[in-house]
Amino acid sequence: MNDENAWVLQAQQGSDEAFTQLVEAYQKPVYNLCYRMLGEPELAEDAAQETFLRAYQNLHRYDSSRAFGTWILSIAAHYCIDRLRKRKFSVFSMDAEDEDGMQFEIADPASPDPESESAKREDRDRLHHLLKDLDATDRAAVVMRYWHDYSEIEIAQSLNLTVSAVKSRLHRSRRALAEMWQEEKSRAYPERRSRESLAF
Amino acid sequence: MNHLPFEEWLLNDMPVNPEQQRELESHLRNCSYCAALIETGKMLKVTRMASPAADFTTRFQARLAVRKVEERRRKTWGALLFALGGSVLLMWIAGPALLAFFDSPAAWISTGVGWLVFLGTTLFALLDAASVILNVIPSFLPPFAWMIVLSMFAGMGLLWSVSIWRFVRLPQGV
Repeated sequence: MNDENAWVLQAQQGSDEAFTQLVEAYQKPVYNLCYRMLGEPELAEDAAQETFLRAYQNLHRYDSSRAFGTWILSIAAHYCIDRLRKRKFSVFSMDAEDEDGMQFEIADPASPDPESESAKREDRDRLHHLLKDLDATDRAAVVMRYWHDYSEIEIAQSLNLTVSAVKSRLHRSRRALAEMWQEEKSRAYPERRSRESLAF
Repeated sequence: MNHLPFEEWLLNDMPVNPEQQRELESHLRNCSYCAALIETGKMLKVTRMASPAADFTTRFQARLAVRKVEERRRKTWGALLFALGGSVLLMWIAGPALLAFFDSPAAWISTGVGWLVFLGTTLFALLDAASVILNVIPSFLPPFAWMIVLSMFAGMGLLWSVSIWRFVRLPQGV
């Protein structure tokens, strides 16, 4: 039995200390999911805290045949989806962050000049605005896939979907993002498209 | 424009061999949609995980403590309100009878004794009637009718057991 299973078992038997260990271990993935879903640090903090409280209250319902990480992210995703549906509003941050949550620029060795960096930042900001147009469940699937490296099976378990539904949602989201991106970009700088590099 | 098979390669992050790479590059020169798929995919992949502010666990413990206090308070108030409501209801139902009892205790005692006697005699009469019926009925009912009756009881028992089992079974997952 690994540490995590032992903590879960002890927490199920009423040990707050063991549950604290689980909070320590999963605070970052849970917070990240909430942050990517809700877009604001304050809302993400609140949602992550609420996720752990719900997990604490429902620990007796946890099925140990599933990974604890999948279960807790499932609670976080459902909570965020509910919140998004209630407020129908979200602001995303696509800026990369370091370990302390501080934002920084992603260095691109292929384009070190400031002008290009600034253009890339603009692109990220643009994508950031496009992501909010995705359906809440689609957004959760995208966050789990690209930030948490979850497999389609794990996403399906977390969001109570079938694997084919997850695949279809991910494809739909990627297509939607690309289409919106294409429109935005041609509207924003029509002259830039002709000079753009197509390397990938 | 036909995006196949390039769109499938990009959406599924499929590895491409040099020849496929050349075909893809050639397609990208004329297809801004597939170029956008690549760009958005790259941007989704390069962003890192966000971390909560320091002392997240401490804040969680404080919040959990507050939630536990609230839960206890809610349970206490719930129990209190339930007890109070029950008492008021009981007083409302039993109040007139109690008042009448304290007005004339002798009449109530004689009525109570009368009821007890009535209940006793009725019970004995019913028991006598039941024993007579049980002695007479077997001779009227054929054995298969008894089997049907017993099967019905067994079926109802099974249904009851299954219902109880389904209600008490703990749900899995959230």
